Amino acid sequence: MPQIFRRGRFWIQLGVVVALMAFGGLLINNITVNLIRTGLGLDFGWLWRPAGFALAETALPYAPTDSYAWALVIGWMNSLKVILVGLLLATMLGVAAGAARSSRNRLLRSLSGGYVALIRQVPLLLQLLFWYFVAFLGLPDTPVGGLIHFSNQGIRLLGLNLSVEFCSVLTGLVVFTGASIAEIVRGGINAVSLGQWEAFRSLGLLEGVGLRRIVLPQALPAILPALTSQFLNLAKNSTLAIAVGYADLYAVSDTTITQTGRAIEGFLLLLLSFLLLNLLISGGMALMNGAVLGRLQRSR
Amino acid sequence: MNRWLDRWLTLMLLALLGWAGWSCLHWLWRGADWTVVVTNLPLYAVGSYPEAERWRPLLCIVAVVVLIVITLLGTRHGEWRRSLPLLWSAMAPLGIWLLAGGLGLSPVGTQSWGGFSLTLLLTAGSGLLALPLGIVLALGRRSDLPVLRGGSTAYIELMRAIPLIAVLFFGQLLIPLFLPPGVEINRVLRAVVAFALFAAAYIAEDVRGGLQAIPPTQREAAAVLGLSPRQSLQLVVLPQALRVALPSLTNQAVGLLQNTSLMAILGLVELLGISRSLLANPAFIGRYLEVYIWLAAVYWLACTAMALLARHLEIQLDPVRSAR
Repeated sequence: MPQIFRRGRFWIQLGVVVALMAFGGLLINNITVNLIRTGLGLDFGWLWRPAGFALAETALPYAPTDSYAWALVIGWMNSLKVILVGLLLATMLGVAAGAARSSRNRLLRSLSGGYVALIRQVPLLLQLLFWYFVAFLGLPDTPVGGLIHFSNQGIRLLGLNLSVEFCSVLTGLVVFTGASIAEIVRGGINAVSLGQWEAFRSLGLLEGVGLRRIVLPQALPAILPALTSQFLNLAKNSTLAIAVGYADLYAVSDTTITQTGRAIEGFLLLLLSFLLLNLLISGGMALMNGAVLGRLQRSR
Repeated sequence: MNRWLDRWLTLMLLALLGWAGWSCLHWLWRGADWTVVVTNLPLYAVGSYPEAERWRPLLCIVAVVVLIVITLLGTRHGEWRRSLPLLWSAMAPLGIWLLAGGLGLSPVGTQSWGGFSLTLLLTAGSGLLALPLGIVLALGRRSDLPVLRGGSTAYIELMRAIPLIAVLFFGQLLIPLFLPPGVEINRVLRAVVAFALFAAAYIAEDVRGGLQAIPPTQREAAAVLGLSPRQSLQLVVLPQALRVALPSLTNQAVGLLQNTSLMAILGLVELLGISRSLLANPAFIGRYLEVYIWLAAVYWLACTAMALLARHLEIQLDPVRSAR
């Protein structure tokens, strides 16, 4: 433990507490003055009033006459939908691209390297706008064998209607996060000693089988913790959906705050939602981490 | 069998690349119309800055570019080398002075700042504010005083839980509420403050990683030499920790530059914001692809330059190399 502040530590702590309290008191005083001045108090009663705005995409029945609280729940569902599908697809893309970096095929290797180098140096927001305005709104009307139907109204997949907004947010998040995950997977694979590769090759295993059964399982302990933070990033970045008009949690909160003027309450609700979401993701990943480490231990 | 798979894969990839390349060429030859970019280059660079004063933000950009080139290609002259850190640290105040005016230049309000110069300013300003705050937070989290440790940890974890856009939005909305009535700070400054508060939490974690990498023996050695705890932190621990943290700090800096684009959602006319208003202009309707490719190229170049600079700095600071 650091030895700084050892002398007079009590006084330093007291000083910090007093300074923080003075600063906090000043802020609270200012905010009360301002709230009184603008006639806004801290109050959550508006949550039960009718929202009055329509949402383009609803997982559960919703009408503008429903309450703000219900609108926020719908926003939650939309966020969860794009985050969960995004996590799954981004992991798949990331693992594929990361594994391709250690492929024997030079073309595949450099293609994957180019993908990572390009995507990671361009802002996500710009990519989302590209996917929305250029890629998905520019889709020609093409039915593909009755199973998939592309059009600039969205994609119909086996009777499942995916809106343009959902598709562009999902694609943007998956492509962007996939590039980061690819780097993590590459790092994890590099951490596995070269002897393991030589060993399975000398056993006559195919490259793909060896990667899946020998190398990746050993790379997992190095990959999983970094993967968790990428998953959290994906969840946080999903709020950029507002730029393309996808009604996610943040977009609904934004509309709610603009209509009711309840910035502080709205912010508190959003903060709580994201804390919950973070807990869910990191909790789930901790469980998975434990399971993977346990399995590795048992197999040794 | 394996070889056949390999050949088949190569062929497929070549076909894919060929198709992509051909459609790109076709679009470039037939469809692309770059007037939206070419005629608006001044807007992209400086925004709606008053015409007569445009040399100021332009000078700012040119100075940064020249400084980057000098640093990277670098003369071997010791004189130049030694003055580089000084030049870099003079850059931010100089840029603010050039943009804002005052002290002999006519003042220009922040509402007419825009384009690439605003992007640079947002990045540099918030980075400069966030770094010291992040270091303090990291030291606080490693401190053995419960109050300091708890406070810093709570701040870092809360900030890292919420998305940046929410921080920026509520920064614009809430910072005025927390100020005494009558005191107002403008939108650009609010953005810089909100950005810095957000980035500090991430920087703190990177610096903490660096601090953890320094073995306790360093501190003990410093104590044996008679350095006070403060001197040991300042002269021994922190410089080494920052050097260890440099690669991840670079990532943060690149992220910061990319994230300034979020200000477009909140109505600042930095690089992306200017493009949004241009695309709303009926003269350039539907020219999304040209504008986005151009923007992607600018951001890509800026981020790559930043990464190169950091790599350069890493080599410069490498103890093995500088000991020679």
